[in-house]
Amino acid sequence: MNAVLEGYDLVKRFGAAVALAGVGLAVGRGEAVAIMGPSGSGKSTLLHCLAGIMKPDAGEVRLLGQRVDTMRERERSALRRTRFGFVFQFGQLLPELPAEENVALPLMLGGVPRGDAVRRAREWFGPLGLGGMEERRPGELSGGQAQRVAIARALVTRPAVVFADEPTGALDQATGHDTMRLLVEATRGNEASLVVVTHDPQVARWCDRTVEVRDGRILSGEVRDGHAPGGPYPGHGSGEAVTRVFPGVSR
Amino acid sequence: MSGLLGLSWRLLRGGGRSGLLGAGLTAAAVAVSAALLLFAVSANLAFQGRADREAWRNPVEARTGAVAVEAVRRDYVRDRPITVVDLAALEPGASPPPGLDRFPAPGEVWFSPALAELARELPDGQLADRFPGKTGGVIGDEGLVHPGELLVVRGQEPDSPVMAATATDDPRGGAAPTKISDFTGKATSDAEGYQALALIATVLMVVPLLVFGGAAARLTVARRDQRLAALRLVGATPGQVVAMTVAEAVITAFGGALAGTVLYGLLIPVLTRIEIAGGSWFASDMWPGVPYTLAVLAAVPLLVGLSAVVGLRRVVVSPLGVAKRETPPAMRFVRVLALLAALAAVPALGAGTAAGVVAVVLGLAFLAINLTGPWVVGMIGRITARTARGPARLLAGRRLVDDPKAAWRTVSGVALTGFVAGFIGFLSPAGGLFGDADATTLRLSVPAARAPQLTAEARERLSAAGVPARVEVTGGGGRRVLTVAVGKAAGDEAGDGKAAGKDKDEEKAAREGASASGRSVEGSASAAAVDRARTALDGLVPGRGATTAADEEVFSVLLLGDIGTGTVVVLTVSFLVAIVSAGITAASSVLDRRQTYALLRLAGTPLEVLDRARRAETLIPLAVMGGGSIAVGVFCAVPFAFSSVNVSGMVILLVCVVLGFAGVTGAGAASAPLLRSVTADPAPRPD
Ligand SMILES: Nc1ncnc2c1ncn2[C@@H]1O[C@H](COP(=O)(O)OP(=O)(O)O)[C@@H](O)[C@H]1O
Ligand SMILES: [Mg+2]
Repeated sequence: MNAVLEGYDLVKRFGAAVALAGVGLAVGRGEAVAIMGPSGSGKSTLLHCLAGIMKPDAGEVRLLGQRVDTMRERERSALRRTRFGFVFQFGQLLPELPAEENVALPLMLGGVPRGDAVRRAREWFGPLGLGGMEERRPGELSGGQAQRVAIARALVTRPAVVFADEPTGALDQATGHDTMRLLVEATRGNEASLVVVTHDPQVARWCDRTVEVRDGRILSGEVRDGHAPGGPYPGHGSGEAVTRVFPGVSR
Repeated sequence: MSGLLGLSWRLLRGGGRSGLLGAGLTAAAVAVSAALLLFAVSANLAFQGRADREAWRNPVEARTGAVAVEAVRRDYVRDRPITVVDLAALEPGASPPPGLDRFPAPGEVWFSPALAELARELPDGQLADRFPGKTGGVIGDEGLVHPGELLVVRGQEPDSPVMAATATDDPRGGAAPTKISDFTGKATSDAEGYQALALIATVLMVVPLLVFGGAAARLTVARRDQRLAALRLVGATPGQVVAMTVAEAVITAFGGALAGTVLYGLLIPVLTRIEIAGGSWFASDMWPGVPYTLAVLAAVPLLVGLSAVVGLRRVVVSPLGVAKRETPPAMRFVRVLALLAALAAVPALGAGTAAGVVAVVLGLAFLAINLTGPWVVGMIGRITARTARGPARLLAGRRLVDDPKAAWRTVSGVALTGFVAGFIGFLSPAGGLFGDADATTLRLSVPAARAPQLTAEARERLSAAGVPARVEVTGGGGRRVLTVAVGKAAGDEAGDGKAAGKDKDEEKAAREGASASGRSVEGSASAAAVDRARTALDGLVPGRGATTAADEEVFSVLLLGDIGTGTVVVLTVSFLVAIVSAGITAASSVLDRRQTYALLRLAGTPLEVLDRARRAETLIPLAVMGGGSIAVGVFCAVPFAFSSVNVSGMVILLVCVVLGFAGVTGAGAASAPLLRSVTADPAPRPD
């Protein structure tokens, strides 16, 4: 497999508690991986280790073959900024910035001039169903809309991997599904890989593969074959999304 | 209620590390506020105390039942005034004045401790010889304005010539012999003036203090919003929610107020050293006493509680209390019009305008700046956001637009201090205005009829004392002025060239000193020679001392010095409040937004960008509004300005600007480690 991100034998302890007890996971280019499991099983910890947010106590993390876990905080921070995208449950948008500037912020942090950054950010609003919301502020958006802005923000830098930790956990089921579908489509359309923690089996079905975590170990790794990046995916009734063109593809 | 209190206490402790930190910040803010409030109260009481202790030397004529005659005059030694009180009992057993344990017998002299010491230090011919007689005792603190005061009380016979002296023209010069029935007296107009100034200073200090304390309370409440909204959702009644939050705020504030009282107690020894009107303070002056302390201890938590209630209204009204973040409506331009209106009145003012009118206009300008602040902050926020190229400026600008009032609160203290600094800095008279007056020519007003005789006697006394001087009579009418130019060649006078050897040395030293200080050598005489002349001339005219033009200016010089001291004190307090409030606001804003900050950091946002944004968020409005306030302050001062360029005022201003920026930057930087620690949590959640 053409792995973009690999984790080997990851161990993470919090005091006496073992959050990860030797976990290995590889994420292919453009692959969407769902991580499922009961609360407290170590899903978030796994995601944090893979994303270079936490250093594992043992094991290795590699992005395109390069060690991530041994980097210093400053380098990992730069890596997260440039190579990864993040969608959290809520609270990641700066309330005082208009939606478009929230999306443009990662680009500006990367040194893109403001005009360019905002223009590139705006390209995401239409495809994500946010047309006309560019200048609204997070407080003026619904939960689902705010999460879609967060998705745009995660993808605007064209990251290699997008990490999402229960990104629809705070939304009702219908909105959650819509949002998650957009997340999967948009990452795939952008040729980015996706690692998403979710409780929703329906969501997991849209991904290429589901990984089940229990007590800091991986139970099963079910691979769903036959879905090339950008292709149609099961459980996804409407063809509408496929016709969307995400900015990443157009470039 | 005790159940509720218990719950509040658990709520306070259960807030976790950052909750406790928030409460700690509130407590710290309240402690500083309480300490400064105690200082403000004490300062007023201290001036009141001085006025009361001085009142007995400002006699009120008794129409009936006079028991004594009191005469007061000013004498001078070096550049310090001495208050000379002459008392004659009209009836035996008259009660003594404050600080004396019995009524001084005729011929007796009572010294204040400072004067007694000075009389011992200086040669007798310069000071002690002016007050011959048997020492009756030392005047106690109750009779002294300040610990270093130079005061002498002399017992006289009722028919002594001193007790028949006429009044001087200057009310500060003392009081002509007055029949009194007791030593109540009344406050001098100088003392009342100082009390008025103290009151103005108090207003300048207390208004920002109250705003600051209230803001601190509301900050705690803001952080509790969500938790309390949750309590409301699970069915707590509004009353219970209010009671719990208020209890929490009051507990915190009471702790802070106690700490502030202790802090103030520790500061008293330092504060007593502040010299006003030529003297420092008794420790008891600076101690407000139990009732006032209790009042502050009760009032501060009460105000914080009230402030908490106001802050809570929103949560209580709606269970979905957490306000939606929307673009706030832009501030109204009316705010600026208010300032312009206040400023329009300024050119109409002038040196002749009544003090009350000036105070009102100044107060209005002060308030108008405060009102205009958020509008200006919002506007510079929009400009900053629009012109920002990098992320830090953009974040800062948007933050300013988002909540200009909060941003203004952070810097308002320092900016308003700018107004005070600008006003005083521009007004404070140049050093040359006073203090250059002739300090070597003594003048003594004499009845015209006796002028020739007194002139001769003066020459005789001066030559006996070995003081070279030229004595002349000037003026016309019923009163003539005897002028004694100490150190001047006396021309055809008897004292010509006969200066004693010790004088020559002294004069030589004086000349060297004078030329070193750049003054004209010509005609200068040592302070010692002048004091010897004063001593020699003492009693030439009963109840009158010879004074120099510099002596007569002493009070003006002191007053100007005091205005300077007052400025420094008020500015220090303002800066303390401003900087502490900037620090607390910065820390609270980190705590309030820690989830967003933490998530931004997880997503790879460099903390330096956040730090830079936070810095810009305070420094940009500070620069604009601080500069603006200084300009407004200067503008308000223009109608009263004595002189155009003023070095000391500009120095004050410059120091203020540097301190303001350094302080606010430092206060913001102090919360950088907090930002680091709260964003280190990889699973940030709101409270
Ligand atoms: N910062 C932390 N400090 C201590 N224990 C933690 C920390 N983060 C996670 N844990 C523990 O590690 C285990 C796994 O947590 P987590 O990865 O958050 O689980 P999940 O996301 O699957 O709900 C849990 O037992 C949790 O209590
Ligand atoms: Mg989790």
